[in-house]
Amino acid sequence: MNPRRVRLLIWKEFTQLRRDPLLLRLLFLMPILQLVMFGYVIGADVKNLKTAVVDLDRSATSRAIAQSFESSGYFRVVARPADERAVRELLDHGDAAVAIVIPEGTALRLERGERTPIGIVVDGADSRISSTASGYSAEILSEFNRRRIAAQGLTLDGPGIDARVRVAYNPSLRQINTMIPSLIAFVLLISTMSIMSQSVVRERERGTLEQMFVTPISRADYLVGKVTPYMITSSIQMTTVAIVGRFWFRVPFNGQAVVVLTGLLLFMFTAVGLGLLISLVSRTRTQAQQTVMFIMIPSMVLSGFIFPIESMPPAIVPLTYLIPLRYAVVVMRSSFVKGSGFEDLFWPLLAMAAFSVLIFGIAVTRFSKRLAD
Amino acid sequence: MTGRFTRIAAIARKEFIHIARDPRMLIAVLILPAIQLVLFAYAINYDVRNVPTTIVDQDRTPASRAYVATYRGSDFFDVRGELPDVEAVDAAFRRGDVRIAVVVPPGFARDVAAGKQAQVAVLIDGSDPNSAQIGSTFTRALNTAYGQQLQATWADAQGVDMSSMGRLEPRVRTWYNPERRSTDFLVPGLMVVIIMIVTTQQSAVTLVRERDQGTYEQMLVSPLHRVELMVGKLLPWTILAFADMVAIVLLSQLVFKVPVRGDLGFLGVSMAVFVFCSLGIGLIISSVAPSMESANIAALMISFLPGFMLSGFAFPLDSIPVVLQWASLLFPGRYMMEIARGVFLKGVGWAEMYDQLVYLCIYAVAAIGLSAWLSGRRSR
Repeated sequence: MNPRRVRLLIWKEFTQLRRDPLLLRLLFLMPILQLVMFGYVIGADVKNLKTAVVDLDRSATSRAIAQSFESSGYFRVVARPADERAVRELLDHGDAAVAIVIPEGTALRLERGERTPIGIVVDGADSRISSTASGYSAEILSEFNRRRIAAQGLTLDGPGIDARVRVAYNPSLRQINTMIPSLIAFVLLISTMSIMSQSVVRERERGTLEQMFVTPISRADYLVGKVTPYMITSSIQMTTVAIVGRFWFRVPFNGQAVVVLTGLLLFMFTAVGLGLLISLVSRTRTQAQQTVMFIMIPSMVLSGFIFPIESMPPAIVPLTYLIPLRYAVVVMRSSFVKGSGFEDLFWPLLAMAAFSVLIFGIAVTRFSKRLAD
Repeated sequence: MTGRFTRIAAIARKEFIHIARDPRMLIAVLILPAIQLVLFAYAINYDVRNVPTTIVDQDRTPASRAYVATYRGSDFFDVRGELPDVEAVDAAFRRGDVRIAVVVPPGFARDVAAGKQAQVAVLIDGSDPNSAQIGSTFTRALNTAYGQQLQATWADAQGVDMSSMGRLEPRVRTWYNPERRSTDFLVPGLMVVIIMIVTTQQSAVTLVRERDQGTYEQMLVSPLHRVELMVGKLLPWTILAFADMVAIVLLSQLVFKVPVRGDLGFLGVSMAVFVFCSLGIGLIISSVAPSMESANIAALMISFLPGFMLSGFAFPLDSIPVVLQWASLLFPGRYMMEIARGVFLKGVGWAEMYDQLVYLCIYAVAAIGLSAWLSGRRSR
């Protein structure tokens, strides 16, 4: 391997990148856009649900009930129809997602000490809305009951359970604290895989690959010269995500930098290997892109990055073990949030090492064999 | 006018030949969506269940075992054995073996028997905030219910009547999907998202390829108008994407058994317009991208990030910051999402949803006009 030739090849790659101003801008826009989307869209708690209140009781109590829904912040009252029939139209149009129906005689029944039903209609076409709305409304009503009983001065002695629920590691339960560590690994995978495979296939499409091998450039020179620039750009992207995450989104870092860097280095080899493998099986850049999608979608869905693995059906769970991103997500998350060290993360790190040796090894041997032909 | 149609048809025929020459791409376009649908529909589940849980029972009495049994009986907790002490819990959390730990301290049974509040501690690993949030709600509910049960038994023994206090009770009704089947939620939305991802990718490279190969200039000297070129380029993909949609609807009926309650004709018309819209986004990319690489990556980025996430598919749009809510208006997914959910689950049609279709039509015209203008500006 000749260091001067490698340097020149790296320089050539960066020159080509500079000539494509849109691509260069996309490379820096991509992590920013991902941060915005993951930080503000996926990280958003479900609130401000469009709510219709149907108050058929029209009493002080029913107004207090409606008020407790409104002041919770989860429900935003957009309509107060006079009867229940209007609810159908509101939900059909999507103008409201939740309807609260306070039946006639609610105040009276409460006075008499009866169990009083309150109707909560949720739009079942959106699962997140329907599950959170029903959870929140149950909570709000039980809080209402508690306050009412306390106000009447009724206390009842007797046994009970005083459960102290304590959330360890991420007590504020901010989604983003776990989203951004895994996003670093995701950006690495996507950017390396797609940009590298595009660049290698372009050389093949244009025939410049053959030209290169009539020069004294060796296969090792070529490989190192091709891989290094994309390792550098993806490192810059990851650093951007990490810095914005740390200082703008205030994601705490409780772990050891060594653990994170080890994990990312192993994962980088996996990503580069995947990029090379994709360029081996694709003749055109469009095909390469489609193959990237073919890997990216299962990685996104099955890695536990967005959708928790425990909730998947048992038949799907074994598949997740085949996704390298799964282990990277575990390592990044546990080390950022829980401060897990090498011994805690022994198994996922071992799996990542195995993947990187396997994928990078196969890619490099196949790639040099292809170049030799 | 007939000349115009001949020219559009000629371009469309040419595109079909390109597609037919690349069978691998054809397979990708026709098979990949089906795979995506199945994968997403099975793997995505918002109902958090089977959260790995451990028990530290330091009381070891019949009362504490009865209490712990309620966790084992719940679908939410997946109780995986017991640990001797709280230190072991810490290690298990760091390894990620368990997410929830229930600690019953000594004296639990004594307190219950004495009619006092028995203390227990529940530790939740917050590194997955979503399941931690749901976990703490579930735990509180379970403990309240168990406490009430204890109280009722105790009150009975003391001869007190508990039923004299009125209270409100929620009666939740889930419309459109009363059993809350997750495939019913997912499949209509997935149809929109998948079609958008596939189509945007395809049209994003189409003009760039012509420019790369120098055939773009040849077309410009022909009598072809730019809008005709754009429409001709989009037609074959519209037909393919329509085939995708039919395949997805069939799969949703035969495999996932998702009900279709509304007007299928309305869905079909809207879908065709929607396909035009997402192809239009691709064409806009195609008219500004200097190379295949940047076109491919821009398409990937736009269809996945704002396209997917601002469609309202997985993340309710009412909860996100206002600026992003406005941004979501720039992507056609949100209009189509309303229509797809409306037709599949709510059983609506033209009368209720025509406004969304109008938005889509405006969008399609604007997108194609914009891409024609951009590529015209470029070639000058």
